[in-house]
Amino acid sequence: MFKINTMKGHDRMSTQDLLLAIEEAVRQGETEFEVAASGQHDIGGPLWHPEGKTLHFHITNAGQRAGSMCLPGTEIVVEGATSADVGWLNAGGIITVKGDAGDTAGHCSSGGKIFIGGRSGTRTGSLMKHDPLYEEPELWILKNTGSFSFEFMGGGRAVVCGYDSAEFSSVLGERACVGMVGGVVYVRGNVDDFPADIKCLPLDDEDIAFLQGGMDDFLSHIERSELKGELTNWQEWQKLTPLTFAEKAAKGNNKPSMQAFRLNEWVKGGIFSDVAHDDFAVHNTLSTGLYRLRVPSWDNAKFAAPCEFNCPTGIPTQRRFDLIRQGKLDEAFQLELEYTPFPGSVCGSVCPNPCMDGCTRGGIDEPIQIGALGYRSAFLPVAKPSVQTGKKIAVIGGGVAGLSAAWQLARKGHSVTVYDEAEHIGGKLEQVIPRGRLSHELLEAELKRIESVGVKFVSNYKVDKEKFAQLRGEHDAVVVATGGTKSRFFPWEGAERLTMGLEYLKAINRGEHPQTGKHVVVIGAGNSGMDTCRGAYEMGAETVVAVDVQKPAAFKEEIDYVEGLGGKLVWPFFTNKITAEGVYANDGTFIPADQVIVSIGEEPVLDFLPEDEGIEFFRKSWLVPKADQSIAEGVFTAGDTIKPGRLTDAIGSGRKAAYYVDQYVMGQEVKPFPQKQQIPAGRLSKAYFDKCHHCLLGDPVDDHARCVSCGTCRDCKMCLESCPEKAITRIEKADGSWEYVSDPDKCIGCGICAGVCPCGVWSIEDNPEPIKMYSTGAKA
Amino acid sequence: MEAVKTQDIGVNDLPWKIEYHAERCTMCGSCVAGCSFKAIKVEVQKQSLTVSEGSQPEPKHTHIARPIIKQVASLTDFCRGCGMCEKICPNNAIRPVRNADTRKTLLSKDNGPIKRGGRTNLNAQRTLDSIVVGRISQMTDPSLDAARHTFDIRAPFGRVLPAKDLPFEIKDGKLVQKAKTPPVDWIYPLIFSDMSIGALSTRAWEAVALAVGYLNEKCGLPVRMSSGEGGMPVKLLESDYLKYFIIQIASGHFGWNRIIKAMPHMVTDPAGILIKIGQGAKPGDGGLLPSAKVAEHVQAIRGVPKATLASPPNHQGLYSIEESVQKMHLSMNAAFGFRVPVGIKCAASATSVSVYNNLLRDPYKICGGFFIDGIQGGTGAANEVSLDHTGHPVVSKIRDCYLAAVKQGLQGQIPLYGGGGIGMTGNAAADAFKLMCLGANGVFVGKVLIQLLGCVGNEQGRCNSCNTGKCPMGICTQDPRLVKRLDIDKGAQKIVDYVLAFDSELKKLMAPIGNSSLPIGRSDALVSTDKAVADQLGIQYVC
Repeated sequence: MFKINTMKGHDRMSTQDLLLAIEEAVRQGETEFEVAASGQHDIGGPLWHPEGKTLHFHITNAGQRAGSMCLPGTEIVVEGATSADVGWLNAGGIITVKGDAGDTAGHCSSGGKIFIGGRSGTRTGSLMKHDPLYEEPELWILKNTGSFSFEFMGGGRAVVCGYDSAEFSSVLGERACVGMVGGVVYVRGNVDDFPADIKCLPLDDEDIAFLQGGMDDFLSHIERSELKGELTNWQEWQKLTPLTFAEKAAKGNNKPSMQAFRLNEWVKGGIFSDVAHDDFAVHNTLSTGLYRLRVPSWDNAKFAAPCEFNCPTGIPTQRRFDLIRQGKLDEAFQLELEYTPFPGSVCGSVCPNPCMDGCTRGGIDEPIQIGALGYRSAFLPVAKPSVQTGKKIAVIGGGVAGLSAAWQLARKGHSVTVYDEAEHIGGKLEQVIPRGRLSHELLEAELKRIESVGVKFVSNYKVDKEKFAQLRGEHDAVVVATGGTKSRFFPWEGAERLTMGLEYLKAINRGEHPQTGKHVVVIGAGNSGMDTCRGAYEMGAETVVAVDVQKPAAFKEEIDYVEGLGGKLVWPFFTNKITAEGVYANDGTFIPADQVIVSIGEEPVLDFLPEDEGIEFFRKSWLVPKADQSIAEGVFTAGDTIKPGRLTDAIGSGRKAAYYVDQYVMGQEVKPFPQKQQIPAGRLSKAYFDKCHHCLLGDPVDDHARCVSCGTCRDCKMCLESCPEKAITRIEKADGSWEYVSDPDKCIGCGICAGVCPCGVWSIEDNPEPIKMYSTGAKA
Repeated sequence: MEAVKTQDIGVNDLPWKIEYHAERCTMCGSCVAGCSFKAIKVEVQKQSLTVSEGSQPEPKHTHIARPIIKQVASLTDFCRGCGMCEKICPNNAIRPVRNADTRKTLLSKDNGPIKRGGRTNLNAQRTLDSIVVGRISQMTDPSLDAARHTFDIRAPFGRVLPAKDLPFEIKDGKLVQKAKTPPVDWIYPLIFSDMSIGALSTRAWEAVALAVGYLNEKCGLPVRMSSGEGGMPVKLLESDYLKYFIIQIASGHFGWNRIIKAMPHMVTDPAGILIKIGQGAKPGDGGLLPSAKVAEHVQAIRGVPKATLASPPNHQGLYSIEESVQKMHLSMNAAFGFRVPVGIKCAASATSVSVYNNLLRDPYKICGGFFIDGIQGGTGAANEVSLDHTGHPVVSKIRDCYLAAVKQGLQGQIPLYGGGGIGMTGNAAADAFKLMCLGANGVFVGKVLIQLLGCVGNEQGRCNSCNTGKCPMGICTQDPRLVKRLDIDKGAQKIVDYVLAFDSELKKLMAPIGNSSLPIGRSDALVSTDKAVADQLGIQYVC
C-alpha cells in the first residue's frame, strides 16, 4: 500500500513530486495507492505494473485530469467531487467519481469506463472516440451534464441517467451533441436542444441489453445500487445518435427550391406582372422564329448594281447577264431597249461608259464589257406598242433627250410627235459628233427604230412663242428638249473674233466645209473641244492647239486621236484677249493663231416659252424644273435645257421626263421616279471570283460568267447549300422566275446566307418583329 | 490588291480581338447568331495560289473560296469580350482575346464622350487587399468556433439613441417609455443596393428581390434591398414583402407617383427610405438611363417618354447639408408616419467627414444612416471620364467618419454603411469584415449581385456594355429577346448561396478575433502590409 498525504502542515507536495513518487512505487511493484491529494493533476495515468497487475487508486481531493491517459489495468476511485477533465484521453482505466465531476469529463476518452455519481460540467464527453481495435469507451453519469455536452463525439457510449434533474429543461444542457459524428448518448429525462443532424430515438433491445448489463456495475461503483429500480424504466429513456454520413448526404437541403418559393410563396405572377408579361420560361441563347436576334431577308434587286447606279440612263446590266445566264439572249438584248433607244449609237459608240468605271469586276481584274454589249442591241427590231392611249404629246427638240422621252412615251402607246428646227432629226448625234466617231448608218438605223414604234418626226420646224402655244393647245403634254444650242464664251477682249464651235461642227456635219485657218486655237479641251480640233484638221488646218483652264476633261482616246494628228493641249491657260495674231493668256503667254474657235459648252435658247407662267431659270439660261420635271402645266423638260450633260445624262433625263409625262397624261397620282441605292460594296462576296491574270476578254456576251451580279440573285444556291439549319428553300414560279425563302421556324438568324451570298442579295438585320412584353400597367 | 487606307479602323484598334480557328469551325452559325453586339459576321475568304507540283516549275493555279467567321472592324459594333461566342461554340473554334494595343478609347469620341457601364478601370487597386485580419486569438484568449458558436450578426438601420437619451421613466415601480424613439431595425449588415428598374431588366431586378425574399423567409437572414431610383413595382409595394425593401429617392424622383399612389394599399411599412445624393461610380453626375433601355414599363413607372434619362446631379430642392437633413429627411420620415428609418447615401468625397458631422448634429434625430459609396462602385451607364477619373476610395472615408464620431462620443448613433467595390476581388465577407473593423456598421453591394446573375463585366474592360441595352446575359437590357435568356430562379439561388456563404465566412472571421457580435471599430483586429495604409487608418503595420 502506497499511502501518501500530500500536505505536510502548510507545505503542499507539487504535482511533479507526487507523480514521480507514484511512478517510482509502481516500478517497485506497488499496486495499491491511497492518495490524500491537494489538487494535484493527472493522478492515475499513464501507468502500468511491470507484471501486469491491476493498479488501484483511491484519491481524495483530486485536481484536474484525474485518471488522464489511463491504461487498462488501472482502477481509480475518487472520493467526493473532482475537478475538470476527469478521464481525459482515458485509454482503458475504470474511473469512478463518487460525487460531481467538473467540466470536460471524459474528454477525448477512447477506452475504459468512467462512472460519475453526480453531475458533470460543460463539454462533458466531448470528442469521445472509439478505436475499433479495442472496446468502446463508456461514460456513465448519474445526474445531468452542463451545456455543449458530447460536442464532436466520434464514438463510444455515454449514459446520462437524469436522476435528481427534473428541474432542468435539458439534462444534457444547451446545444448538446453539436458536431457529433459517431457513438451514442443514452439519456433519461428532458432533452430539448440538439442539432438537426442528430437523431433522437427510442431504445431498442440491444440498447436495453447494454444498459441493463452495465447499470448494476455503475451503481455499485458509485454506491447507489438502491436507485436501480428508479433508473431502469426503459420507457423513460431515449438515445441520441448522429445521422450517418450516408444519411446526411441523402437528407440534403430541406428548404424549398427557388422555383417552388417563387410559385407558392412569392408575389403571385411576379412583382412586375402588372407591367411585364413574362412566363419566366428560360430561352436558349439561340432561338428560332420570333426570338431570333436577327432575321435574314432575300432582298433581290433591292439595290442597284454599280453599273446600273452609275449609268445616268439607269440600265441594269446585271439583269441582262442574268437573262443571258438563263439562255434568254433575246430578252437580254431587248431589255436594254426598255431604257434607251440608242444602245448602239450611245452605249456602244460615243458613251464614256461610266457603268464600267463603277463595275465591281473592275476591282477584281477588268470591268465587264458593257459598252460592247450595248452594240448587240443596236439593230434589234422592237414590237409596236400593243395598245394606243390616244394621248398626244409634242416633243420640241429632236436630240437624244427629246428622242429618249419620245421613245419611252411612244412605247407606252401615246401618240408622239418630235419637232426640230434642223433638217435632220438627231440633235448632236446627227449634227455635231464627227462621223468618224459615230457611224451614220448606225445612227440612222436607230432613228428609224424610233419611228418604227410610232414616233412622228417633224423637221425644219422652228418653234416660237406662237407655235409653242399652238402645240400646247393641240397636245396633252409638251416636252421641251431643245438642249444647248448657243456656244458660250466670256467677254474676253476681242471676243468678236471668235468662231462658235457648235456652229462650226454643225457646218462640217452638213458638209459645208466652213472657213478654217492655218493655225487654229480651240478654247476648251473637253470632248467637244476635241471634236472641234478633229474637225479643224479635217478642214485643212496645219496646227491646232486646244487650251483649257484645267486638266482636259476629254476622254483619253479622244485626246490621243487629236495628238496623233499633231494637235497640242495647253493648260492651265486663262484666256485674256484674242487678236488677229492669236490668243493671250492672263500671264502673258501667247499662242499665235489666225482662227480661234470657242468650245466651252452651250446654253439653251428658250425664247419660245411663255413669260407669264413663272417659269424658273438658273442664270437666266437653264430651266429649273419641279420634282416631276415639269416647268408649267402640261409642259415638261429634259436634257441640256436643265443643265449641260453627257449624252447618257440626256437619255436618262428624257426617260425620267417621260415617266412623269405618262402619269400626267394618264391622270395618275404622281409617284416619284424609282431610284435605287447603290449596293454597298461590303455586301458583295468578290472572293468567289478568281482574278484573271493576263486574260483576254472574249465576247461581251460571255462576260455573264465574270459578272458578279451585284444586288441581283444569280441563282447559284450558295445560300441554300450553306444554311446550317437547312432553313432555305428555292421556290420556282410559273414564269420561270424564282425566289429563295428562309423558314422562320428553322432559321436561327446566323446570317451565313448573307455572308456567303456573292451578290449581296441576302440581308441580315435586327429582328423587326416586336415582342409585346411590357405595358404601362393599365388594367384591361 | 486590297483597298485599305491607313486611317481605316482595323480589328487591332479594338479592345478585343477574335481568335478564330477555321480548321475547327463547322459553320454552325451559333456564334454569329448569339452575339448581341454584332461584332462578328460571316464572310467568304479566298485563297488563290499558283503552285507547282512537278519536278520543275510548272505553274498551276488553284482557287478556293470558303466561308469564315470574321470580326467586324467597327467602332460601334465592336467586340466587348463577353465571350458568348466562346461559350456557345461546340468546337472551341472562337474566343475573344484582350488586345493590349487597342486604340478604341482614343478613336471613338466622334459622338462625344465615351459612355459605358461597369466600374472604374483605372483605379482598380484596392486598399482592402493590403489589409489582413492579423489579430488572431492565439493563447491570449479562446477563439470561437465559427461553425458552432452563436453569433449576433445584425446591424442597426435607424438613429440609435445613447442610453442616457432614452425616454424612460419609472412609474409605479415599472420602467415605461414616455416618448417616441426614432425607428431602428436590426438588419443583416449586407444591403443589396440601388440598381434601378430600367438599369436592370425586369427579370434581373426580380431575381435580386426574390433572393431577398428567400433569404428572409427561408434562411432567417434579414437582408434588405434598396430599390434604386427607378421606382418600385406596384405589386411589391402592395405585398407583405415590402418590409424587406428600402425605397430610394434620388434627384430624378423617378417612380414616386406610383409609390405614393400605393400607400393606401400597403399592408406593411417598407424597411426604410434611402435618400441618394450621389454614387461612387460617378460622383457629380446624376443617374443615366440610355433611351435603349427606356421600355414601355420604364416610361410608365417613371412617367416619362422614351428618351435618355439623365437625372440632375443634385436634388433640385436642396441647397445645403442642413436643408438635406431638415427638409428631405423630415419629408421622408413624415411620409411613413415617422415609423420608417431614413438614411442618406453620398459618394465618398474629401468632404464626407463634414457631411457626417452635420448629420450627427441633427437635432431632430431623424437621420437613420449614412451610406458612403466609394470610387469602385458600379453603374449601368456613365461617362467614362467620370468612372475612371472622379471619385474617392471608401476605406479611409469610413475610418475618418467613424473616428470623427468617436471623438465626439457619438459613434454608433448614425449607422455607417460603406460600399463601392465590396466583393470586387471575390470575397465580400472579408471586405465587409474589414470595413466593419474600421468603423462601418455594414456594407452595401450591387455589382456583385449582377455578377452572380451572370454578368461577366470586370475591371479589365470586359463587356461593361450595360449602357447599350444589349446585355448578352439579359441583365442590363429591356430587349425581350435578351431578357428571356435570364433564369430568374437560378439567378436568385446563386445570390442566396453567396449570401449564405458570406454569412459563414463572416463567422470565420469573427470567430478567430473572439467576437460574437459584429466587430464595429475593432481596428486592432486588422494589420496592413502597406505602411502608408496602416498609418492613415491607424492600424498596425506588419511585414
